Amino acid sequence: MAVHGPDLVGRRFSSNHTRSVTAEAISTFAAAIGADSRFTPPTFLISFSVAAAEEFLPTIGFDWTRVVHGDQRFVHHRDVRAGDELSYSSEIESYKNLAGNEFVSIRTDFISALDGENISSTWSTLVFRGEQS
Amino acid sequence: MSWSVGHEFTEKTFRVNRSDLKQYADASGDQNPIHQDEAFAQSVGLPNVIAHGMYTMALAGEAIRNWFGSEKSLTEFSTRFAKPVVVPAGEDVLLTFTGKISAIEGDQVIIDVTATCNGVKVLTQTKARVRL
Repeated sequence: MAVHGPDLVGRRFSSNHTRSVTAEAISTFAAAIGADSRFTPPTFLISFSVAAAEEFLPTIGFDWTRVVHGDQRFVHHRDVRAGDELSYSSEIESYKNLAGNEFVSIRTDFISALDGENISSTWSTLVFRGEQS
Repeated sequence: MSWSVGHEFTEKTFRVNRSDLKQYADASGDQNPIHQDEAFAQSVGLPNVIAHGMYTMALAGEAIRNWFGSEKSLTEFSTRFAKPVVVPAGEDVLLTFTGKISAIEGDQVIIDVTATCNGVKVLTQTKARVRL
């Protein structure tokens, strides 16, 4: 497995396309957690963060199947709504290697493609477990 | 409804099985096989299939919305994933959430949430800010 270092901090990744938030995506997500589909679940944007991370991390040598989630934070300036067009950019904010396990913290900002409004930011710490752990 | 610091909410329990994990995987796009494939999960050193941490967090969010009302917005929501939620084949696992108001700031309430599975805390430092 590739070994990374603290020089990863500051690496950025931006979507080169926007993603539409559809009513169907919100209601499918709500149904999966037993929620009222009229309201966007507060963790809905993880479905976009996951897509971003799955694109980004393999390009810098992380094995997606060895990841576990360490922590997660959302800040919502407003609720995401059906009809939103989102672009997003991610940045690695910290990197630690503890006993062969790599802790990578990524911030992702979600921006409305319509008016540039910052709708939400998410912070995820992903833990890539070393072969011996 | 008016709230006060120290208010404790009635605990909320969800039953979780393998088909729930599949449905969540499809809805969220997180198809990591550790959440669906027992042989794969064990091949990477896990005891069995585990729930997506984000599924547990999503259920915590749903518990909070049960307590405050589904239309209320969570403006901040954070957690650490302390222990995996192991979901054996053919079993319903119980996830139980409790909540307590720790602060009120203007029109926003801050709530601390606990999440346990079989008596083990699976989430820690779980906090949300709810706009009333």
